[in-house]
Formats: sequence, C-alpha cells, structure tokens
Amino acid sequence: MDRPIAYDKLAREDRFVRMRAREVAELKVAQGLPPFPDLSSRESIKERVHGIMVGELQAMEGAGRSVCDFPDAPWDFTMDMARQVWDESRHVEIYLRLLEHLDGYAGEYPETTILWRCACAEDAAARVAGVNRGLEGLACDVFNQLVHIARKIGDPILERSVDYVLADEITHVRMGSKWLTRLTEGDPERRRKAIEFQDSIDERFNLGGVRREGDHEAVSISIATDVRRMAGFTEEEIQRLIKTTQRSQVY
Amino acid sequence: MSESLEGTFSAEHSARLLRNYRYAVERTMRALGGWIALTPELSAKLLMGRHVWDLAQHCDAFGQRLPELRSHAQVSEAANPAIVALMDAIEDAEAPDQTVERLVGVYAVLKPHLLATYRDHLAHANPVYEPPTRRILTRCIDDEERHIAAGETILKYLAAGPRVIERVSARRRHLEGLLAAAGGVTGAGLPTRSAAEVAATPVELSDDARQFIRLEQATGAWPIPADLDKAQDAFADALVLGDDAALSRLLVPGLALDVTVPALLRGASYSHHATVAFARLGHQRLVKTRLDGPAGSATVLARWISAADGWRIAALDVVGRDAVRPA
Repeated sequence: MDRPIAYDKLAREDRFVRMRAREVAELKVAQGLPPFPDLSSRESIKERVHGIMVGELQAMEGAGRSVCDFPDAPWDFTMDMARQVWDESRHVEIYLRLLEHLDGYAGEYPETTILWRCACAEDAAARVAGVNRGLEGLACDVFNQLVHIARKIGDPILERSVDYVLADEITHVRMGSKWLTRLTEGDPERRRKAIEFQDSIDERFNLGGVRREGDHEAVSISIATDVRRMAGFTEEEIQRLIKTTQRSQVY
Repeated sequence: MSESLEGTFSAEHSARLLRNYRYAVERTMRALGGWIALTPELSAKLLMGRHVWDLAQHCDAFGQRLPELRSHAQVSEAANPAIVALMDAIEDAEAPDQTVERLVGVYAVLKPHLLATYRDHLAHANPVYEPPTRRILTRCIDDEERHIAAGETILKYLAAGPRVIERVSARRRHLEGLLAAAGGVTGAGLPTRSAAEVAATPVELSDDARQFIRLEQATGAWPIPADLDKAQDAFADALVLGDDAALSRLLVPGLALDVTVPALLRGASYSHHATVAFARLGHQRLVKTRLDGPAGSATVLARWISAADGWRIAALDVVGRDAVRPA
C-alpha cells in the first residue's frame, strides 16, 4: 500500500460535489450572502452541520491514514489514532443523523477538502499539530458555538449530540498536544516546523475573521478558551491564536 | 481433580501464537485505516472506521500478554513468508472500484479464519493456567463474530449483480488458496472448527451495518425544482446527443463553452444519463450528471442560476471520466 497517499486520491460517492473553499466563499459573497453559514436560520444551521459532517468524514479518513502511514511510530500513537478513527466514524453517523433531523441530506452542499489536505502532511508530528491541535481546536470553537445556538433555539437533540462530540474533540486535541511533544522530543527543528504548520492552519481557518475572542452573542464563532485550556493549550498559545484572528483573512 | 492441568501449549508456544495473531491483526488494522480514504461508499467507510479501534485493542491485548509469557511486549511476527504474501495480496486491492475486493479479503476470508483459529485456541488453552489468554480470546471472538456479520451485510449490499458476485467468488478463491498455502495465520494448518456458524447477535455498540446502509441510502429523491429538473433533462439530453446548439441555449448569455468540455465529451459516445448529485450553493444549484455509454462514462458538473427566463448554466466542468460506480 502507498504510504502516504496523494491528497487527490480521496474517494467519494458521486453524490458529493467537491469544490475549492475559496471558490465556494467567493460565489456566495457574489450572491450577497455571507461566505460561511452564520447560524442565523435553520437553513444556515443545516449548512453548518453538513460542513461539519464532511469535516468528520475527512477527520476519520485522516486518522485512518495515520494508523496506516506510520507503522514505525510508537505503538501508543497508533492506539490513539485508531481510537480517533472510531470516534470520528461515530461522529460521521451522528452528523448524518443530525442532517436528517434538520431535513437535509449528504451532498446537499459542496464539499471542500482543506481538512483532508492537512491530514496528508508527511510528518506525523505535523499531522497531529495541524489536524489534532489546529483543526480539532477549531472544531472545539465551532461546536461550543453550536451547542450555545442549539440551546438558544430550543433544539435539545442538536444540543446534546454536539455536546458529546465536543467532549471527544477535546480528547483529540489532548492527544495532539501529547504527541506533538513526544514525537519531537530532542528535535527542536521538527517541533518548530510542526508548530509552524499548525499556525498556518489556524490562520487559514479563522473563517475570514468570523472566529474571534468574545461572547457567543457578540461574535459569530467565539474562541472556546476554557475548552482549549482543558485540551492542553497554554495561555501563550491561546493569546497567539487570538492575535492571528485579528489579522487574518482566509480563503 | 476438578480441572485438568494437562495443557496443549507451552508458554513459549502460546507467545508465538499471540505474535502470529498480532501480525495478521495489526496489518489488517493498518490496511482498514488506510482504505477508509480510498473507499467511496459511505457504508463501507463507516464499517471500516468502526473496526479499526477494535483491532487495535486486540493487538494491544496480545502485545501486553506477551511479557507475561516471557516474550517482548507489543511484537508482531509473521508465521512464515506465505502469510506475508497473503497479507500483501489482501492489502493490494486499493483502487477506488475495489471496495468489494477489500471487504472480501478481510471479512470473508481473513476474519472467519481468525475466528475459527481463536475458537480452536480457546478450546485447547488450559482453563487453570491460561485464563489471561482465554479472556483475551473470548473478547476477540466476540468482536470477530460481530465484525463478520457486519461485513457480510455490507458485502451483500454492495455485491449485487452477477458480475460483482463473480468478482467476489474469484477473489475469495484466490485468497483462500493463499491462506491454505500459508497454513493459516499460525502456519500450523487451518483449524478444523468452522467459523461458519456466526450467530446474528444483537448489536449494542452503535455499529449496526444495516444502519450504515440506511444512512448511505437516506438521500432519497433529489429536491430539484420542477423547472430546473426540466432544464437539467434538456441539458443532459443535449450532452448525450452532442447537440451544441441546444446546449448553448441553456448557458447564461455571454458564457462561451469551455472548449475542453465538448472536446472531452466528443471523445466517446454516451447512450444515457443520470443525475447523481444535487447541491446548493446559496441561491444557485450544482447538478452532477453522469453519462454512460459503451466506451465508458463521464461526469459533468453544472452550476445553475435562476434567471428571469428560467434556469441557466453559469459554469460547466467535466469532473470525472470513467468515474467509480458503487461496487
């Protein structure tokens, strides 16, 4: 088996439409719409849920590749990645069911593959830094916001389901923090590159300035600082992330 | 004496068996993990995703038991080169249209053999001094029964049609030949007990393969507005007929067809079409059309916008040639 595989080998059923994230955002802006779902309506929540479902699918595929691609990594690393595959596969199922709950269907919105591209990093340390800490950290912010919205609109099914997924995501970020440290022990250059990769992802995923520090009511996606602390982020890292959200433009 | 102290295996032999199992299970786990991204069908992706973690736990349990049997922890060992060849052959099926081959290798050949082997081992492992191994085997047997039943369900769903059934049989015969040549995962010959009588046990771990299939099929009919459906039909007919004039009438004013699109489509003749995806992009709609013909197939993506005089195509692209069909 090829290890790793080229990112364009990601296999999908025909019903999914794959597009560049930038193109999706630009076409929506051209129609006078926000580039990303703003959760202001049920339709918008459905679109966000679809985006998360696709993200979970790619996270499952990425963690699966990490099980496959690094046979020489420490055994405990493989165990953590295998556990993550299981979690993500359950998350895919949860979000497919949530789509049904919201009268949606898989393939209803275009799929972008930025998450998968990050999961194709050749170095295991970069992969856990970028995916587990960068992207799963973003997931913590997004899910925290979604739980808040679900509570606000009185949708206990959405609230409870996403709350449990959020708990898993915190565990995945912790795994990322652990393996970034352990895999780069005694190799500061490798650590520097992995963190640089994570930072580049944080910048790209600030969702055009939508993700910011602040109260759920005041910003579209609030950086979940408490959740991030729980997941092993340092104060310095949280402050650095907040700074990047003040300057970044994405896609 | 209530329990016999007679045993079949020495501690050393027991450790070797566990290393042999671990070899096959570890390679299967890594293959399943790697295949998820290479497999188009959602039901098969979810099946593999659920089982990677169980197999990792089996490997871990075997690997942790090893030092208790005076062996190194977490070591895998192929029984012989022939079992390596079998695992290589199982892993070999990694093209997107080989989902059925992947599932047959793991769920119809290797796992039934592992189940029979574990049952055989359990039957011979002494209950007085081998309870730690017996406990591991009992858990593995339980999981493998569940995995095989789930794998069979997905295989039956995906392997509909005589051509696919023939592929399943051929793949199975080939791999079973390699398995027999290796003498099974331990190299000591295939166990005499059959794994065929896998009971359909109730699924309580949220990994019911029937649900995976239901979720894959849940889309149902596309919610295409009637006027767009009509325009889409006219568009697809024009593609099949190679009718550039009809095609041009469906484009937004000022949009010239990308020269590569008609060129690509003219390379082959298509006899029929089907809508295979329908997505929203704000107020616009994305429709994927699959064209099939004797020489192959092509998939075309059109972005439709609603104009004053009806739906018009704002962008058109060929996104696949000979794209994968669900197996």
